Amino acid sequence: MNDVYVIGVGMTRFAKHADRDVVSLGTEAVRAAIKDANLDPRRIEAAYCGHVFQGMAAGQRVLAQVGLAGIPLANVENACSSGATAIREAYLAIRAQECEVVLAFGMEHLTSKFKGALTPDEDDPEAAVGLTMPGVYAMRARRYMEEYGTTREQLALIPVKNRAHAALNPLAQFQDRIAVKQVLESRPIADPLRLLDCSPISDGAAAVIVTSDAAARRLGGGRAIRLAASSLRTGSVEPEPTSMSFEPLTHATARDAYERAGIAPEEVGFAEVHDCFSIAEALRVEGLGLFGRGEYLLAVERGDASLGGRMPVNPSGGLLGKGHPLGATGVAQVVELVRQLRGEGAERQIENATVGLAHCRGGKAAGVDGAACTVQILTR
Amino acid sequence: MTTATNYASFKPAVLHVTPEGTGHLIGTRCPTCGAHFFPPRAVCSRCLTEDLQTVGLSDAGTLYTFTVIHQSTPGFQIPYVLGYVDLPEGVRVLAQIGVAAEQARIGMPLDLSIEPFGEDKDGNPMLGYRFRPARGSGAGTPAAASVKE
Ligand SMILES: [Zn+2]
Repeated sequence: MNDVYVIGVGMTRFAKHADRDVVSLGTEAVRAAIKDANLDPRRIEAAYCGHVFQGMAAGQRVLAQVGLAGIPLANVENACSSGATAIREAYLAIRAQECEVVLAFGMEHLTSKFKGALTPDEDDPEAAVGLTMPGVYAMRARRYMEEYGTTREQLALIPVKNRAHAALNPLAQFQDRIAVKQVLESRPIADPLRLLDCSPISDGAAAVIVTSDAAARRLGGGRAIRLAASSLRTGSVEPEPTSMSFEPLTHATARDAYERAGIAPEEVGFAEVHDCFSIAEALRVEGLGLFGRGEYLLAVERGDASLGGRMPVNPSGGLLGKGHPLGATGVAQVVELVRQLRGEGAERQIENATVGLAHCRGGKAAGVDGAACTVQILTR
Repeated sequence: MTTATNYASFKPAVLHVTPEGTGHLIGTRCPTCGAHFFPPRAVCSRCLTEDLQTVGLSDAGTLYTFTVIHQSTPGFQIPYVLGYVDLPEGVRVLAQIGVAAEQARIGMPLDLSIEPFGEDKDGNPMLGYRFRPARGSGAGTPAAASVKE
């Protein structure tokens, strides 16, 4: 089987793009990735487009803009893991030796679809009694805080850190730092979570060019980054209720990715994880085995998870700082990993970065511990 | 006592209500390994037995965790307490908790309550369920229900 590499990355700024549509955003990201790879677009053999709410054949509308007619394209919907799942499909096509050069992109124009928080599908029995997405994470936050004695102030350190990282990222939705006090005084959404504990509604797109090792040697210009694993799991129906302060789904997906990459959690140098809410970042990194259970907020307090710390988490600003245009999110995480591993992280550059991990997890289905989860490991 | 006859049925088919207005939540039970599921499942996730039995679930449980929802979809009157309730069968049920926010506690005992719960698309009142502090547990009942009625 082929080893898999990423030779080109591109993304739009994540923001509320009131004057643009999803095709314009997707087109910008795809053209940027092709240009970054210095690639003749005719070499692209197949494409996968991740999105959630952009309607029928949204990916094809972008291909028509960039002169890529005729190649196979599949639109991929997998909740917040849609973009990461599109990359995984590209990875599988190359592993199977069906293709040598594949485009994977993700995009979402959410501001034209939603005004407030996203909610689960209304036919879901949990939505019928009043569940909201912030409510899901608020209940997990309360349980985590009760079990580990975490304070509300400690939880606020996560959005404070990620907004500080975002302030160094010109493509992030938020460009300003915030203080703990602002988090604690922001509007209550689902107790104990407040507005600044929640990722924003965002528009944006991101794209990557994925190739075989042979094509990477030929076309990569010496900058190719290895995609060592791209793993996907769906949540299980548990015959017994499980802990809400730990994520078996994230843990199982990560274990699969570590095995495939031949990498131990201790070797990971930095991570982009799905911080859709402040508490989510703690649940992710502990499920991934990057920090001990119940220990993450103490590590954040010490600065371990900040740029310059032992294990920077969400150097791009994460969903809380960079923004969360659903389908684009998982692809943008890989864009950040590639830039860091190439040494193109600019003000956010992590020294001696050699192994990075990206994690997405999304969706809600009653009685299931999360819908779709992806873990990708990239190495220099 | 509220009677069910004036009410449209609750949309998700997880609640059985008698004409007298009493009732219970509906789950499934695996006849092979005894696992219970809520919401109902077609196949046992532990042993893959098919044709699970439809059963009524216990009407008493304990609060595993909760939140106070301050922003919700139209049709829900905010704020309301929402929580996961662990039942003795080993299932965890999400429900609104009929308790004042400051009295909600992880681990508190709760009882199922069949009561008016919102309206259907034509504006007919529906019956639904909440959990309320178990009788004799000392916690008060709230002044206001949390769905537009
Ligand atoms: Zn069974």
